[in-house]
Amino acid sequence: MLKVRSLSVDLAVEGRIRPVLADISFDLHEREVFGVIGESGSGKTVLSRALVNWISPPLSITAGSVEYHGSNLLSLPAAEKNRLNGREIAYIGANPGGALDPTLPVGQQIVEKLRAVEPKVSTREAKRRVLSLLEAVRIPSASRQFDQFPFQFSGGMMQRALIVDALVSNPAFLVADNITQPLDVTVAAQILRLLRELQNDFRTAIVFVSSSLGFIHEIADEVLVLKEGRVAEQQPTAMLLRQPRDAYTRQLIKDVPRIWHASVKAPAATGTTAILTVRNVAKSYQARDRRFIFGHHQIRAVRGVSFEVMQGENFGIVGESGCGKSTLSRLLSRLEPVDQGQIVFKGKDVTHLSRRALLSLRKGFQLLLQDPYNAVPGHFHVGRTIEEPLLIHGGLRRREVRERALAVMSEVGLSQDLFHKLPVGLSAGQRQRVNIARAMMLDPELLILDETLSALDQVEQAKLLDLFEKIQKRHKVTYIYISHDLAMVRRVCTRIAVMYLGRVVELAGNHSLFFDPGHPYTFALLSAVPAIEDRPYRTEQYLLEGEPPDPIDIPPGCSFRTRCPMAFDRCAIDDPWLYRRGPSNLSACHLVDPAARPGGRLSSPP
Amino acid sequence: MTAVNLAADSAADTAVSHPKGTSLGANMLRLAWRSMDFRIGLFVFGLLITLSVIGPFVSNISATQFHIMERFLPPFPMVGSRWPHIFGTDELGRDLFMRSLIGLRNALAIGVTSVIGMFTLGCAVGLVAGYFGRWTDIILMRLTDAQMSIPVIIMAITILGVSRPTPASVVAVLVLAGWPVYARVTRSVGLAERQKEYVRAAKILGASDIRIMLLHIAPNILPPIAFVAVLDIARMMIFEAIFGFIGIGIQPPTPTFGTIIASGTQYLINAWWITAIPGLLLAISLGSINLVGGALERARNQLLQGIG
Amino acid sequence: MIFALNFLLRRLAQGAVIVFLVAFLVFTLLRVVPGDPIRIILGPMTPPSVMEQTARELGLRDPIPIQFVHYLEQLAKGNLGHSFIRSRQGGSTGGSRGLTTFESQNRAAVSTLILNALPYSLQLAALGIGFTILIAFPIGLAAGLNAGRWPEKLALYISSAFVSLPNIWLGVVFILLFSARAGWLPAIGYKGFSYTILPALVLAVELSAVAIRAISVAIANALIENYVDVGRVRGLSRWQIIRRHVVRNASIPLLNLFGVQVIGMLLGSLFVVEYIFNYPGIGLLTINAVFERDFPVIQAIAILASAILVLVNIIVDFVATNVDRRLQY
Repeated sequence: MLKVRSLSVDLAVEGRIRPVLADISFDLHEREVFGVIGESGSGKTVLSRALVNWISPPLSITAGSVEYHGSNLLSLPAAEKNRLNGREIAYIGANPGGALDPTLPVGQQIVEKLRAVEPKVSTREAKRRVLSLLEAVRIPSASRQFDQFPFQFSGGMMQRALIVDALVSNPAFLVADNITQPLDVTVAAQILRLLRELQNDFRTAIVFVSSSLGFIHEIADEVLVLKEGRVAEQQPTAMLLRQPRDAYTRQLIKDVPRIWHASVKAPAATGTTAILTVRNVAKSYQARDRRFIFGHHQIRAVRGVSFEVMQGENFGIVGESGCGKSTLSRLLSRLEPVDQGQIVFKGKDVTHLSRRALLSLRKGFQLLLQDPYNAVPGHFHVGRTIEEPLLIHGGLRRREVRERALAVMSEVGLSQDLFHKLPVGLSAGQRQRVNIARAMMLDPELLILDETLSALDQVEQAKLLDLFEKIQKRHKVTYIYISHDLAMVRRVCTRIAVMYLGRVVELAGNHSLFFDPGHPYTFALLSAVPAIEDRPYRTEQYLLEGEPPDPIDIPPGCSFRTRCPMAFDRCAIDDPWLYRRGPSNLSACHLVDPAARPGGRLSSPP
Repeated sequence: MTAVNLAADSAADTAVSHPKGTSLGANMLRLAWRSMDFRIGLFVFGLLITLSVIGPFVSNISATQFHIMERFLPPFPMVGSRWPHIFGTDELGRDLFMRSLIGLRNALAIGVTSVIGMFTLGCAVGLVAGYFGRWTDIILMRLTDAQMSIPVIIMAITILGVSRPTPASVVAVLVLAGWPVYARVTRSVGLAERQKEYVRAAKILGASDIRIMLLHIAPNILPPIAFVAVLDIARMMIFEAIFGFIGIGIQPPTPTFGTIIASGTQYLINAWWITAIPGLLLAISLGSINLVGGALERARNQLLQGIG
Repeated sequence: MIFALNFLLRRLAQGAVIVFLVAFLVFTLLRVVPGDPIRIILGPMTPPSVMEQTARELGLRDPIPIQFVHYLEQLAKGNLGHSFIRSRQGGSTGGSRGLTTFESQNRAAVSTLILNALPYSLQLAALGIGFTILIAFPIGLAAGLNAGRWPEKLALYISSAFVSLPNIWLGVVFILLFSARAGWLPAIGYKGFSYTILPALVLAVELSAVAIRAISVAIANALIENYVDVGRVRGLSRWQIIRRHVVRNASIPLLNLFGVQVIGMLLGSLFVVEYIFNYPGIGLLTINAVFERDFPVIQAIAILASAILVLVNIIVDFVATNVDRRLQY
């Protein structure tokens, strides 16, 4: 149906011409899902745009053809090309929030698109079609959502709406460029399932572009591997994974982080003292409720979290967006005060310490954040940024501070030449090292890593994980890894806590969590995570539907009940506590009720 | 995403989207320098400043001395005078060029001083309001709202129309009129900056609020505001001229643009150059300042969009 | 509905606070600034005893807070007060007084004075804004749609030029060229609608400078949003996108501009322009009032001006929240 032959695209930048895509050829058949995989920089976004006629200066198509039903799309006159957009060719990108006009209701804009593309359709008829599609993609209360504005849609719902927008005109093919990237794992899994189902009804071919082999594995029939603008290999997906022909593909497959077949390097706790104890910590925020004159919504971000972190171990906290882990990290690092509960660090209660007392304690625990670009101030040179902690805490002479800074820089792998340079030219990996060096200046015993590696690519991540290990051995540091990346947490964490809607729903050792999950949500997470391995259980019964409920309207009983495939009547009444499961694991699910087993409850009710 | 950002994506180097150079302020200067109007404006402005500062010292033509025999001479008179009056003379025979230069000097002095004053006051208030939040914020914002609701002219005439206005009181009125805008801008930019990660990182390290405000936030947000403040120099110079016109500016015999233009209106029919030509000089000076300030403002917007 | 009520109540309350503050500021400023107003009102020749008596009658010798309270009471009854200077018949006292000159019924009511002058100012303002839109809109729109090409450069030069022309000079030059030399348009005072044109043009030049920039920036910013490009791929034509989405999104910052900044500038420039052209509007009234120390007139106009500004602010914000539901005003 679509034949791409020798497509080449160049980029003109500052007087030089650089090839971005060279000699790309492939065929797209009706009803096929064609995957394109490449790392960042491989040119896959440019390819997806070339297919939908979205190439403008400084990019230009220099060679090749895209044949659609016999005619070459690239050589069509502009009017013809524009006619095809939205009608026979559809596109969904990686930025769902910015795809529609924020000032108009979503449904209205889809209707607008439909009527632009099929002028003969009346408004009423168009609205009917859009509504029925919105229901088909399982957007709850479709008729109400029709009139809502883009900012009122969550990422997952917006992608569904954009799928409706793309498919409403029954296009011949759809280009999906990295559509799962901004989404949580369980939501992305649903979108993929949805696409597959719809494709059957609509007979649309899909070009699915992604940088994740796991997702491609889930959805694509055939895969094209893009390396630096060229085709490295193309095969049916199953064959590619089993018998990759190209060395690059082999490396790509090898680099996909494994979960169940990963090599785990998690340190054991050194002793039985807990370095950090968290008891029943809770925090809520107020947001204005526009429905009432002086009304406020209560957003219960963290609702009674308790756990202990043992000295020397790596403690992981995982969860999707809205689970409260970012709030928790702010509470743990005392950036914000808790509403309820207690935080005990090395035996001392630090929950309500004054700023002054806290200052000396700050030497003991530190926090590293995610964003390497914005966490390093641009107006100080690197050395000054690293020296800052000791300058704040005082006590050492300037020269000593400088010597220590230089020493720490070498330890984290930063060249000492960078001391007097501004952070402008540094890469993300180097900037994170600056952050690490800065934190290490105070010789902390506990380091909280809040999505610290999320902005880095695989290679850098691996290097930094090694660095963390080195530092841990040398300085006897305990780590708390807060992340949404299950594969990373699997590699290095001793024990892992899974959070959902402000609570810890499961707390288990590394192996147990992945091979013998104790909570339906954990099952769901592990089923949804894109992976090229086989999972040790059947996934179909654990896949979730719908979105997590608003932290404003938490349903009574178990908060997971509304999406749990195994909920029963007790779940609507009783909010489960963390029950013991086995000698050292905990799970907040009635299916694990101690009434069936001996042993008590761990945490008291909030 | 524009095509250029796409290129960055393809380049596998995410550092491309961040500018070369040291800080936003320095980058603004660098970028602005590339545009023609910035350079023209700077050149003309520099020329005028030099003339206005040095001219009256160097030349032996007086700005205030009457020459009854040489009244109402048009520009470049060939006969009837001992000195070349480039701009002509006024109703009292005074050389208009010299008067204009001194007027320019006064206008510049007032413009620059008042802008420095309103910048300092406004930014200080804005930083404090933005950082310490809640009650300080609300009070300060209501104050700025109220201040901004009073038209400058009313305030000026009220304060200056009473006593004999001095340069200091004129500057004071202008500072009063102008500080609210700086407070607002600083506050909103400061609030946004406060959300940035490096501020959080500093707090976690134990830095105090004041430290963060002075060492981190201020150096980042003030330079762009300062550069764009150049435009306000021109605005204040216009106000100064308006005050002079109405009679509430610096008083004669010190020449100011306002008084020159005002006194010239009486002789508009016969000696139009008294009003028109000094005003033209003022317009050109303002134009050059606006070219410079405008280029800086455009540079800032471009940089902010490139990043954000 | 509830939201609208919520919004209005809150903002009107805040606005009242602002107007109150402004009233207090102006009131105090007038009485605190050095120099005895009575001297100016009656002229320097008057014997001190008469000055004292008049001052007491006018309430000028009470402590300022007390004066302010009296003033508030008066305002609450809807009475804007009576002019210190102008009498009912329209003349000013300036240097003389009879026994009854300063009694209330013989002095012009401030509200009358304002109401007489207001129509002229409104006409001038309307014409000025009209000219501004005529000039600024096409230029700004063209500049915004063609970022980087000649329309933008042109707009830049025009607005830079306009902003560098002081209104006093421009006014005088206009009078010279269009009135004195060419005789096309009348200049001073008011004897018919044509007297409004020159002052309105001067206003328009000043306002256009800001308007051109704001319009081109707003449109250019709206054009680079993601949904504009995506809209093309979805099948919408460029004109459809501009008409239905770009203009709509660009109007939000523009509302703020037109509502707040332009009105604010207008209030100030109106006064100056009326003074230059001797145009009998509120501006001229105010300036003369200040020179004559006619406190009630000044106070009333200051309150009026700030009330207008506050109301305009509220209206603009309300419309903005309706256009873009994300805004939380």
